[in-house]
Amino acid sequence: MPNPKDYAILFDASRCIGCKACQVACKQWNDLEAEKTKNRGSYANPPKLTAHTWITMRYYEGLKPEGDPYFDFIRGSCMHCTHAPCVSACPTGAMAHREGGVVTVDEKTCIGCRSCVQACPYEAVHFDEAKGVVHKCTMCYDRISHGDQPACVKACPADALTFGTYQEIRAMAEERVRALKERGYARANVYGLAELGGTHVLYVLTEHPSQYDLPKAVREAEKRAATGWLSAGIAAAVLGAGLKFIVERREALKGGGQ
Amino acid sequence: MITVNLPNPIGEEHWGLWIALYFFLAGTTGGAYLLSVLFYGKDQGLVRRSALWAFLGVVVGAGLLVIDLGQPLRFLNLLLNGLYPASVMWLGSWFLVLAGAGLLWVYLGPTSRGVQQGVAVLVALVVGYTAVLLMQTAKPFWNASPLLPWLFLASAATAGGALLQLWYPHEKLSRLVTVSALVEGAVLALHLIWTYPAATPGVLALLVGPLAWAFWGFVVVGWGLPLFLERRNVALAALLTLVGAFLLRYFVVMAGQV
Ligand code: SF4
Ligand code: SF4
Repeated sequence: MPNPKDYAILFDASRCIGCKACQVACKQWNDLEAEKTKNRGSYANPPKLTAHTWITMRYYEGLKPEGDPYFDFIRGSCMHCTHAPCVSACPTGAMAHREGGVVTVDEKTCIGCRSCVQACPYEAVHFDEAKGVVHKCTMCYDRISHGDQPACVKACPADALTFGTYQEIRAMAEERVRALKERGYARANVYGLAELGGTHVLYVLTEHPSQYDLPKAVREAEKRAATGWLSAGIAAAVLGAGLKFIVERREALKGGGQ
Repeated sequence: MITVNLPNPIGEEHWGLWIALYFFLAGTTGGAYLLSVLFYGKDQGLVRRSALWAFLGVVVGAGLLVIDLGQPLRFLNLLLNGLYPASVMWLGSWFLVLAGAGLLWVYLGPTSRGVQQGVAVLVALVVGYTAVLLMQTAKPFWNASPLLPWLFLASAATAGGALLQLWYPHEKLSRLVTVSALVEGAVLALHLIWTYPAATPGVLALLVGPLAWAFWGFVVVGWGLPLFLERRNVALAALLTLVGAFLLRYFVVMAGQV
């Protein structure tokens, strides 16, 4: 669980109008260059985060089982995880938690090994080929540490983004889900409470997370590595002893030495 | 800043050819050293020669890793920036340094069997950590099954045996290579079946997609053919096995990032 006093952002999918004001505000504040993109038949553009795009809205449309149409929007960006896989995987300490639970990369320390890129379950960190370091959302650390809101939150015209302390944001999210359920959204839920020790960006969703391509039951990097070490240890012991046994026994049966 | 971008069939990868080549070099030469300690401990000439090969494998491989960094000149940050044992990349860097020093020691002077076995443990860690590094990521093709270390270690035994065969054709080695190749094939098949539900795009890219050339090239030329040739033309079989070991590392690295 994040510290109740930590910084947090709420994204309320039931209020979002998909206008991308947040996406543009992020580009402007952080001085991120534009992307060359193609029309891919979706409003999502660019379709994925990059070193120069730290938020991108994703769009899901179709028909519900009951036949009603839906058009849902979701924010794709860094979740500022409490047990952040990118931080565990970083070999230099460049990717780390700052005060308030925010995860940022120190570009002076980063060596560009891309461990964090591979470790993030939200594909939120990306490698900048020109600079040789990685970039991602900083929760506008340069603004919030001076008492301002993140640029995306400030730009949102629909009150879908809110910034505050974790305690406030969490209470707000839970209250919102309660209200949505009352209004008939039976599957409304808060995303980010259990994931990776609790994320500092919480989502209010009207549908199951898988509907928005959000990973459920993401494993922490320490656990993934622990499974790996255990498996490697067993593999080394079994293969070493097994090969020795099979090969030398044949030798012994034949009665010949080396 | 040196960033290397080689043509790749899947369009977007963060770890590419250099990483695959490093996995191959460390796995093959490390495997040869492990086998010589495990099976030919009495033949000090062979142990020391394979220690030299493994030392070169580690040094050249580490060189490739440094080149691959976005900020190669900062590579010392990997070792000197503090302790990050949760990061497999950090642990692996230390295994490389220690194994390299140990291998040089074994090559340069007469050492006791105990020292050689201790260095073998370090070398096994170098060979094994590469699989754990992949397992720590969020990529399902690498971590949805715990079998990657088995695959890399079995492949290291096969390819390491093949490397030894090139200058030391010996019947026992033939048996070793055959048995470990069979294990490797079985593990690979099991891994694909196991990860298919979670990593369908990656598995399909291997079987019928843009990576099929590497996958089937491995199966036919780098695995099946050498098994068939083992009793007929050892040198050719060994060479093909080495080609196969490289293809295996390459397609495993790429398929995780489809
Ligand atoms: S969402 Fe990704 S980049 Fe952000 S803190 Fe979590 S693991 Fe790190
Ligand atoms: S790329 Fe930079 S921030 Fe990411 S793991 Fe490597 S050193 Fe850490």
